[in-house]
Amino acid sequence: MSRAPWVRKALALVFAALCGLPVALLLLLSLAARWPYPRIWPQEIRLDPWRDLLDVAHGDLARTLLVSFVLSSAVALVATALSYLAAKRIASHRNRARLSLLAYAPYVMSPVVLGVCILYLYLRLGLAGTFWGVALAQTIFSTSFGVVFFLGFWTEEKRALEDLVRTLGGTTWQLYAKVLLPISRGALGLCAFQTFLISWFQYGLTVLIGGGAVRTLPMKVFDYINEANLSYAALASLLLVLPPVLLLWVNRRLFLRIV
Amino acid sequence: MFLEVQRLAKSFGSRPVLCGVDLSVPREQTFAILGRSGCGKTTLLKVLAGLEDPDAGTIRLGGEEITGLPPERRRALYLYQEPLLFPHLDAFENVAFGLRLRRTPDPEVRARVDSMLAELELVSEGRKLPHQLSGGQRQRVSFGRALIVEPALLLLDEPFSSLDGETRTAMQTLFKRVAAAHSITALFVTHSLKEALLMGDSIGLMRDGTLLTYPSKDDFLRDPQSGADAEIAFWTSLQRSTP
Repeated sequence: MSRAPWVRKALALVFAALCGLPVALLLLLSLAARWPYPRIWPQEIRLDPWRDLLDVAHGDLARTLLVSFVLSSAVALVATALSYLAAKRIASHRNRARLSLLAYAPYVMSPVVLGVCILYLYLRLGLAGTFWGVALAQTIFSTSFGVVFFLGFWTEEKRALEDLVRTLGGTTWQLYAKVLLPISRGALGLCAFQTFLISWFQYGLTVLIGGGAVRTLPMKVFDYINEANLSYAALASLLLVLPPVLLLWVNRRLFLRIV
Repeated sequence: MFLEVQRLAKSFGSRPVLCGVDLSVPREQTFAILGRSGCGKTTLLKVLAGLEDPDAGTIRLGGEEITGLPPERRRALYLYQEPLLFPHLDAFENVAFGLRLRRTPDPEVRARVDSMLAELELVSEGRKLPHQLSGGQRQRVSFGRALIVEPALLLLDEPFSSLDGETRTAMQTLFKRVAAAHSITALFVTHSLKEALLMGDSIGLMRDGTLLTYPSKDDFLRDPQSGADAEIAFWTSLQRSTP
């Protein structure tokens, strides 16, 4: 049964408020120099955290944002590509059930436990405390999420399409370029976004492998909270929740349809 | 013979699926294979298409041995039960797909696809996406996509099984017409006795991985294993009991 238009509008408003109000509060907190209880609005505004953010050359926060963005983008890109191909291979393997079970390991094992397991190897290889070491560790973790995600995508129908292209005379390159990648576009995008977020919010594994040398946004939030630097902590948190908020904005039609 | 298959064998693990299949099909003829589910029909077609490797046996097509060739070099096209249209392409581009793979010049693609769509009575459906087409239309697009690349051998795996009775009859007629017009050599797999008789110029009966071939349709009908006697007896008794 479809809802009345005003009910849909009201639900959409409640949904937008639920998503938007915490973001608005973070924005206010990032601008507030003084906000004593029980005042509704800040008594004094200062733009220092935002100036620091825009000062790419010297600002600590800007550098951290850049590191986080490059790290998460690289992890998303590599993990999505790897998991797409690995899941395809697993889906058509005769030991599919056993191999799929392996992909679930990180769901059972927390990222920190994974980090402890690989730390010795990392120390021996000189990867601990490096950007690429953290990127690799996060990629291992994210790839298994991607594999689980894509296992549902590689159905018998996809396999049949693949066979069909081959009997029509298509090469492997043509198979990917003309059929598999175009029909996987949505799934690839979703997986890339999911793995981006896994990396974006990753804390324990980054601390363990990065050893403090690689600083990402979640670590920065904790740093500012420990320093009781509320406005910087709010700004860092705001940057942290920005990607999911952007996703909601991009997919606003879909969410509005759901409500 | 245009297609010659000798002692073809295939097992999955310890389970034999094809047990020394011998088969000959003359050029431009349709050979219908009748058999129940799980008797090895699909595996036979997949081995002929190169999608499964045989354990033993040889396949010759047009005098050339193709047993070890990859699917893309066999010119043997396998059509599934479902039309399997590419969901991101419209009907026109689905039909044009094989030509695009071969980098055929665009004006030629347009001319040939338009002509194929006309032949399959799909002129006004060219710009529709697969989900906007009916089951019969999707199956016709699938035929068009296969026929336009002029395959040496068409392997049809129960292609009309998912269609309703009326559409199925229409598609059977259309296939006969198109196969004759394009001089197609085909293997038509079905579990329907009536369809095997309608579609095949000659018929084989597949059971537990072995293929029984018959010199003529009459020989097939006379064989009690074909089930034709039982079918005829059923309809005759039904006719007699109807007042």
